[in-house]
Parts: sequence; C-alpha cells; structure tokens
Amino acid sequence: MTDQISDTPAPEAPFALVEAGPHGLSVVSANAAALSEGVVPDLRFTDAKARCPGLVSEEIDRAADARTLAALGHWMVRFTPIVAIDGEDGLMAETTGCAHLHCGEAGMMDAIAARLTKSGIVCQMAMASTPGAASALARAAPGRKLEPGEERAGLAGLPVGTLRLSGAARTVLRRFGLTRIGQLYGIDRKALARRFRSREMADAVLLRLDQALGQRIEPLSPLRPQPAHAVRLNCPEPISTSEAIGLGLERLVENLCDELAGLGQGARGFSLLAFRADGGVAEARIALAQPARTGAHILRLFDEKIDRIDPGFGIDCLVLEAHRVGPMQMGTPALSGDLAAQDTDPVALAALADRITARLGVGVVRVAHSYESYLPERAERLKPFEGELPRPPLPAPGTGPRPVRIFAQPEQVKVLAEVPDGPPQRFVWRRVTRRVVRADGPERISPEWWRHTAMPETVASPSGTNRTWLTPKLDPRADADLIGKIRADLEASCETVPTRNLPRARDYYRVEDAEGRRYWLFRKGLYGDGRGGAPEWFIHGLFA
Amino acid sequence: MESGTVLHSDVFRLQPRARAASAVFPLGLGVAGVHEVCEASFGDIAALTGFAIAAAKQKAGTVVWVSQRKIEMDHGRVLQGGVRRLNRAKMPILEVHTRKLTDTLWAIEEAIRSSAVSLVVADVEAVEFTASRRLVLASSRHGVPVILLQPYTCEGSTAASARWRVSARPSAPNRFDPRAPGNPRWRARLERCRTAPHLAGHVFDLELNHETLSLTVVSGLATDTADTREVAGDRPDIRHARA
Repeated sequence: MTDQISDTPAPEAPFALVEAGPHGLSVVSANAAALSEGVVPDLRFTDAKARCPGLVSEEIDRAADARTLAALGHWMVRFTPIVAIDGEDGLMAETTGCAHLHCGEAGMMDAIAARLTKSGIVCQMAMASTPGAASALARAAPGRKLEPGEERAGLAGLPVGTLRLSGAARTVLRRFGLTRIGQLYGIDRKALARRFRSREMADAVLLRLDQALGQRIEPLSPLRPQPAHAVRLNCPEPISTSEAIGLGLERLVENLCDELAGLGQGARGFSLLAFRADGGVAEARIALAQPARTGAHILRLFDEKIDRIDPGFGIDCLVLEAHRVGPMQMGTPALSGDLAAQDTDPVALAALADRITARLGVGVVRVAHSYESYLPERAERLKPFEGELPRPPLPAPGTGPRPVRIFAQPEQVKVLAEVPDGPPQRFVWRRVTRRVVRADGPERISPEWWRHTAMPETVASPSGTNRTWLTPKLDPRADADLIGKIRADLEASCETVPTRNLPRARDYYRVEDAEGRRYWLFRKGLYGDGRGGAPEWFIHGLFA
Repeated sequence: MESGTVLHSDVFRLQPRARAASAVFPLGLGVAGVHEVCEASFGDIAALTGFAIAAAKQKAGTVVWVSQRKIEMDHGRVLQGGVRRLNRAKMPILEVHTRKLTDTLWAIEEAIRSSAVSLVVADVEAVEFTASRRLVLASSRHGVPVILLQPYTCEGSTAASARWRVSARPSAPNRFDPRAPGNPRWRARLERCRTAPHLAGHVFDLELNHETLSLTVVSGLATDTADTREVAGDRPDIRHARA
C-alpha cells in the first residue's frame, strides 16, 4: 500500500517536492498535474521549471515525512496488529486472520481506502500473499489482489524497478534490457548473477525476486511489539471524556481478564490504544512487577493515565493489549499473617510496586542484588523490582566494615597532612576541615584485572583462528611475584592497555573526626605504582 | 480501600491491632506511630540512620525505604551491606527513589496502606504539619510504623508521635587498638513525645555493641579517652537537661 500525502491548497496546480543534491536541486516527487506536464522524479529542477513554468515547489522534509508515516502506521493498528514501514512512502500490513472482520479481503481494502480518503490521504493499495509482491503491485498496479500461487503470473508484467532494488542494480538491469519482472524468470540464476559487478548486488536482486515470488521468507519488522492478547471496543459514537474512556476501559479489562483467566495466565504489561476519529492514536501503558489479571488492580493503575489521553475530536475505537504474558502464581492467601509461610504477601507487595511505578515512572522501585565484585559500589546493584525479593545482599566474607550510607560517586577530598601509607591527619571535605582523631585500616581493594586486560587486536580474531593468547587464570591470593611477572609479560604483549591507563588500587580507611563523625576515606592509587601521578583521596561513604 | 465495598483481605486477614507504644526506650520507634529522627546539625544523617536502624524493634516483614533524591545526593544512598551490620533482623528492603517531596509523601502513604509492609523508612525533606497528620492517621489506621529521617531543618510542630534529635559522638574506646574507632555512639535527645510527654527533653547517650548488636545507654561522663570535649552543635538546653 502506497500513500502520498497531499496537503497542497490547490490540487490541480502542478506541485513538486525538491531536494538539494550534488548537482543542484532536483525533483523528488510530483503530483498528477506536474507529472502530466513532464515533471518526473530525478529531473533537475531547472529542467522542470522549463517544462512547466507554473510549477510550485517546496523542499522535501524527509524526517517529518517519516514521522507522519510512522504515525499513520500506528493508526493502522486498528485494522491489523502487524504493521510495518515499507520504504519511504509505504506501509505493509499483515492481514492474515483480520480480513473476515471487514467482510473479506476486498472489503478490508475498501474499508481502509475509505478511512484514508476521508482523512484526506491519497493511497494506492494492493494485496498479495508475499510482502514483495504486494509492494510491487501497490506501486505499479494499484487495486489488484493476487491469490496465493498467482505471484509468478501476476508480477510478470510489472517493471523491474518495483522490486525494491538499489539504483545501481536497476541501471544494470536496464542496460541489459531487462525491464519487466517476467524477463528475469527465464534467465539462469548463475548467469543472472554474473552480470552484476559485485556479488552483493547480484544477491540482492535474486533475494528480492525470491521474496516477491514467495521462494524465500521475508519477515516483517512490525512498528509495535505484537501483543499476546488484545480486545477491542468500537464506540457507536466518538467519545471524548475521560469518564467515557474509563467506562470503556472497564469493559475491555473485564473481557481481557476473562480471556487470560481461561488460559491460566497473567500479563506484566497492558497498553490501551485510543484511536481518534480524525486519524491518530493515543496510547497509555502500564507495567507490572509480576503477572496479574485482577481487573480492579489494572483499572486502578490506568486511573492516572486516562486523564492524559488526548481525545482530539473524539475516540471511536479502544483496544486493550496484554504484553509479556506468563503463568500466574496461584495460591490461597493465608487467613492470618501469623499463619503465612512468608512474612510478606508477595501479591500485595507487587501491587504496591505497580502503583508506585504507574505514578512515578518505571524503575523507581528497586531492590539491591548482590554481585560478585571487589568494588563496594558494584557489589550491591540496584535493579528494578520484578515481583521477587532477592536474598538481602550480605558483604562477602573477609571484607572490612561497610558504611551505612554510600555516595554514588566518590567525592574528592583535599588532604592537608598526609602520612605515607596511613590515613591523613586532616582533610577538607565540603569546605570544612576535619581533624582525624582515630582511624582504622587500610583495607586494600584492588582493581578487577579481568575487566581491564584487553586482548591484543592483532592476535585475537572473531573466528578464533590464529589465537595464540589465552586469558590467564590468576588468583589474587597467589604469589605476588608470579602475578607481577605474568602481568609484565601480558603488558609486553599487549600494547593497547598501557600501565598508566590501568585502574588503580584503593586503600580504604575508616576515620573518625573530633566531632565523632565517621567517614570512609580511600586513597586511589599507591605511591610509585606507575599509574598516573600522586595518589588522590576520596570520601566514599559515611559510617553510622 | 476508599470504596464502599468490603475487601476480602479486610474480612479474612486478621489485622494486627496497632500496638500501643510503651513508655520505655525506644518509645515505639519502628513499632508504632510516626517517628521523626532529625539531624542535630548538618552531616549527622549517617548517625541518625544508624540510630534508627539499631533502635527500631520491627516486626518480621518487608521494609520499604523511600528516599528522596535531594537527600540521596547530599548524604549518599543506604548501603544494605552496612545496614545488616547494625540490626539483627534480616528484613528485605524495597527501595523507592523519588524526586519531589509530594511524590515522596504519596509513596510513603501508599506503602502504609498496602498491607504488605511492616515498616516504612523515609529519607525526606522537612515535613509540614498537615502532611505529617496524614501520615499519622494512615499509620494508626493500618498499624504500620513510619520512621522519617529528616535533615536539621526539621523544626516546628508536627503531628508525629515523637521527634528524636540525633548527633554523632566519639565512639567507644577500641579494646584492641586504641587508635581505631570502637563501637559507634550516638546522642539521641527526645524532643517531643506524645505517648510519654514526661520524657520529652530526655537525652539518651547510646552505644551499639557491634557483636551483640544491642544498644546500651552509657553514662554521659564515661565518654571515650580520645576526645572528651563537648559535642559540637550541642545545644544549651541539652546541657540543661543533663545537669
């Protein structure tokens, strides 16, 4: 299906869109009046002006065109859930299983054409059983419909240019006199491939031909993720108030939850699509921490989102989709909290997380997961809550004390009286000088060498051939001399990561100032480690 | 829950009644009511976090920790590895990170009403009277205790059950290394308390034993040897109360 959006004030006046190219302005597309005067695409603008002195032109805005086309594609979801963009000026819709809702395929084409024409959009449409054939037909023979198996005969008369080929490939084919798709059928495939300069170009032509004829599969890349379930409500009269949308949503949620309950499933995402009568679609979506199908809960989460739906001139169709469907945890809730096996009601907790997420945004509710890392800020990772509380992260055995509060980014402090290999006597943090009275440490946290030793690019290849360099398995507790020797060897063979760029070790100290406040300071780097200048001091956390 | 229908969970789940706060330390901190724990001066928030975690005698269940971005940027986020070393209870913590004060208060109230939470802790800017009244009403209705960790700007009257003002104190002498910090000590002053008004103004000098994780009251005189001068930011009224 191809559509050209005409928003010129006078449709009968010749009009063309132009674009600045390497050789000056040239015509990109023209309306019927201009075409009849000989203004064809790819014509220089000066020639076009000569052929048609009254030509009105405007520069093409490809970004805005793409946006408009995508918006139209989203609106097309009301006819079928799978809609894809086809080139710069087309939309591709998978109609399998949807045509009977519009009294057959011909009825569906008529319904789409009627809606688009009503919105002032000129369109050309065709239907076939492969995307390639449909695309070619829509551009060269609009209005036709090919039954499965008719592609070979149906496409034979169409120009080769409709096969979605590159300009260079079209030029080569034209030079050989191959102008119709049917002419390609009889040529031996190897002979056809030999005519092209590069193998890629030959492959592209054969691929497009095979795809059009249905000999190779062509998956569509849909604009929207395909919902697992969807229910729709056609409004007899366009609605425009949030109360009316709420009532419609109630019925949709009831239907969808019944459908999910029948399958014993729940969904973790719901989206409400409101199709406006004047074209365009508004979407509201909610995300859940764990699969759910409780109508009241879903409605409550949608409560705040409904107000933000812009009804425009009225909404005539509502669709509710369920995404990320999964089996639900079913169980009888305990009568009393004391009898429950768990202290926490997981369903109620997930419902709380959902409500907060719906109002404050995705990723606001988080839980800490433990992660195997030496570095304290990486050892505890915050991840969005997924309906399950992980085991509380405990500090790894053998680690020193950990502060109760930690800064996301360690803050640099100015050390006034530095003692080599010891905590400072005084330091300035946030413009206040603090005198260290007592201190404990250091706890040395070395950088994670496995994150920063890169493979030499000349040796390692993606296929694994010619690889002579293996990742060494080093134990940090092993002999320090051995590690030093291996590291020196590694660095000698690996010029990509020089020593001075490697991360530095940290020495952590727990210090207490005269006022009794306790800080977690660290010195980044050791004296004379060859990884940059003098070590710097940072504050990383606060002890209780 | 505001609708007229009777919820299944209201009928069949035996709701624990809101426990009456006892008149002994910690006066229901983490058990009932809304407690404000405030900084004595800027920078004491780590001390008051430690005090709140160590003193709270919470029930089993999930803790929701709401933290406002402003406080988090100033004083860092809570590290669970550090929290576990202050309290014996190994509660899972669900963190909610908010930006605005209104969002923070809304999230606290939503957590109270969710019937899935045993304690709500919040890093939040100073809360005004009306907002605190809402929290107190919700907390007493649903029996969920709330601890508000507040900056030093928290002044004036609120509806909270109690207000603690906490400052850090030099830690206890370390038996194994005199130059190292020992058990943490805090000074908690009970500024106001609705359940035990006669205790208002009382000062608790507390020490947390890091092995038994028990809080003990230490004498004001038995401070450590390293630094015996008065705590900076100490108020004249505190000295008066101790005298």
